[in-house]
Amino acid sequence: MLVIRPRSDFEVNVEAEITPELATKPVEEIRRFRVYYGNRLVPLEELFDLEKKGDEEVLILEGDFSRVKWVGMGMQSGEIIVKGNIGAHCGAFMKGGKIVIEGNADDWLGAEMEGGEIIVKGNTRHLVACPYWGDLEGMKGGKITIEGNAGNYIGEKMCGGEIEIKGNAGDFIGTEMKDGRIVIHGSCGYVGGDMKGGEILIGGSFELVPAFVKMEDGFVGDVNVGGQGKVKVLK
Amino acid sequence: MLHIKNGIVIDPKNGIIGEKMDIFIKDGKIVEEVEVNGCKTIDANGKLVVAGGIDLHAHIAGGKINTGRAMRPEEMRHVRQKTGKFRAAVGRTLLTSPAIGYEYAKMGYTTAIEPATPSIYVIHTHEELDSIPIIDKATLPLFGNWHPVLRYSADKDIEKLKSFVAWVLERTKGYGVKLVNPGGVEAWMYGGNVKSIDDTVPGFGVTPREIITSLIAAVEELKLPHSVHIHCNNLGMPGNYETTMETIKLAKGFENERRQVLHVTHVQFNAYTGSSWRDIGSGAEHIAKLINSMDNVTIDMGQPIFGYATTMTADCPWQFELHKIAKAKWCNRDIELETGAGIVPYVYRPKNPVNSVQWAVGLELGLLVDSEKIAVSTDYPNGGPFTSYPYIVTLLMSRKFREEEMKKAHPYMEKATSLSSIDKEKSLEEVITMTRVTPAKVLGMENKGHLGVGADGDVVIYDIDPLNYSSNDWQTILKAFENPLYTIKSGEIVVKDGELVGETWGRTFWVDARADTTTEIIEADLEEYFNYYTVKCCNYGVKEAWLRNPVRITAG
Ligand SMILES: [Zn+2]
Repeated sequence: MLVIRPRSDFEVNVEAEITPELATKPVEEIRRFRVYYGNRLVPLEELFDLEKKGDEEVLILEGDFSRVKWVGMGMQSGEIIVKGNIGAHCGAFMKGGKIVIEGNADDWLGAEMEGGEIIVKGNTRHLVACPYWGDLEGMKGGKITIEGNAGNYIGEKMCGGEIEIKGNAGDFIGTEMKDGRIVIHGSCGYVGGDMKGGEILIGGSFELVPAFVKMEDGFVGDVNVGGQGKVKVLK
Repeated sequence: MLHIKNGIVIDPKNGIIGEKMDIFIKDGKIVEEVEVNGCKTIDANGKLVVAGGIDLHAHIAGGKINTGRAMRPEEMRHVRQKTGKFRAAVGRTLLTSPAIGYEYAKMGYTTAIEPATPSIYVIHTHEELDSIPIIDKATLPLFGNWHPVLRYSADKDIEKLKSFVAWVLERTKGYGVKLVNPGGVEAWMYGGNVKSIDDTVPGFGVTPREIITSLIAAVEELKLPHSVHIHCNNLGMPGNYETTMETIKLAKGFENERRQVLHVTHVQFNAYTGSSWRDIGSGAEHIAKLINSMDNVTIDMGQPIFGYATTMTADCPWQFELHKIAKAKWCNRDIELETGAGIVPYVYRPKNPVNSVQWAVGLELGLLVDSEKIAVSTDYPNGGPFTSYPYIVTLLMSRKFREEEMKKAHPYMEKATSLSSIDKEKSLEEVITMTRVTPAKVLGMENKGHLGVGADGDVVIYDIDPLNYSSNDWQTILKAFENPLYTIKSGEIVVKDGELVGETWGRTFWVDARADTTTEIIEADLEEYFNYYTVKCCNYGVKEAWLRNPVRITAG
């Protein structure tokens, strides 16, 4: 297990592609692990206090990580526990393991995620589980649970896996979605534009783009793209 | 000054095929031995020494590639080189300007021609060309759908057409005359297209046949170094080889002692038989036979490469078709009264029967057409990245490599093309001709594509012994062409052992053809034309002083 605490308030963003695997490395290697501070490559220990407790594949982030991006990027196994807020791109390209965020998450949480689990106790901002600009596939597998609210653009071009939002969400949910499932317990804005497949369940109010056909148990569309996506009321 | 000693030279233009000889470079030119003493020496013992490669058709600058870059942010996540001694270079199929110069040099190419610029955007094209390091370059403005051209062609007024061409080339600092789907793009402005060279263009009462022959007549009378360069009507469509054959035959009415009178580009895309996507086949044999029987038409391959590509042409109606076929993003541009453009991302898949046929058709042309009449190209980035030229050359040289690659293709290819029955293996001399001599001759660049005294000091040394190699050992051929031991541009070493070691700035060639023409006879027409235009005539075009390193070539 590795406990990481910021040494000071960061003046610019930190880009730290740290995964739980780091906790299994020798202390010297952990200290020298390179991260970007603004446009400068620096050793991890220059920015953070590092405390290694055994070889368990677990990272504990304590303090303010809201300006620290790319935590858990591409991780395959192990666990990250974020005691506060986390910066953008957390869990992007994640393949396995688990991330628990006790505070809020910034944009691009779990972008292009393929597997594993992310749990956010607070809120998330925009672009959860989306593809990066230009890419053809968003989230492909795994699960994201958001206890609070989420922003705009959730699950764009999603191809698999599940997103569950206990609170409300913004506009553009499941745009160009191909497969997988989005569950929103609260309300949200526009849903399902160019949706081709998959399922969106909503507990509260929502606005549907006009190109959906009403069926017995919900709506099917987007007919503009010959889609068979389902938008239903969450019971 | 530079002395390259003991290399095995292949210089087909000067009749040197695998002779051990020394090459001397001074002030950026090839010189006689006596002019050089006590200079840097490169020992090329047992290695192939050739002139720098020339790409006569690659969309390396201007509005289309830049719109493509904006449409495809994912392209920019492919990092080729980080900032260090040289500039950062990124891009998968759509390279940034520095990446274009670096990657050409890294495979031994020292010249590339941007083949389709809308004149109103030419200032952008030149800005981008000026940002491409190392290589020499030029740009061809688009003429085939321009209102004054359509009108003069309808009126058969070659004198006015000549004046207009000369005026445009000076204003755009352009090198030659490019036609894309002549008449078809104008028809597209009304949602249509032309389907044959004898269809009438709406609003002008003129046919593609008349546009093409009028422009050939004008270009020949102006004695431009490069002939009319055409992207034929019906590109991409099954059965289009007949239109291509008819277009090629239009050259029969013209003669030129120095070069072809018509260059037909990326012919692979225009060489299909069949009536639909279900029965598409190869028309390459018909076209090859026709080209080989004529002495005034040249072509380039337009070879597709399995993998990512970004299609971009001035052929708006075709780009719209492709957008529907590929279900991919599409950007359309109508360029007021001049031309248009369309851009669609694409992937060539070996498991796709049509893509497999396209891949085979390009190679059939490359193998069946005389090397003096065909140049290597991918129509970058339409068929894929130009960085695949070593792959193409190796396919042409090694039947064994072709057999390996054919295994990846869809079995329909076997039925629809004759590639697997072609035993021909091009020799080193032939592929050097296809990548150096032929493109230089097609472009009318006398100091390029060879190593005679007075030629540009663009020399490449490849790690292959021309007197002792086997076409079965395709790995050695591919590796040699992918990693030149040296690329020398104007006497400067820019690449060593496949790595970039120097950055220079090349020249931009343009053609001044005004000597025998006068703008007086078209002045009234220009005035009328600019009444309907967003810029004034006096603000239209590019001054020579705005270019980094312009070279004016006087026609005649
Ligand atoms: Zn082209």
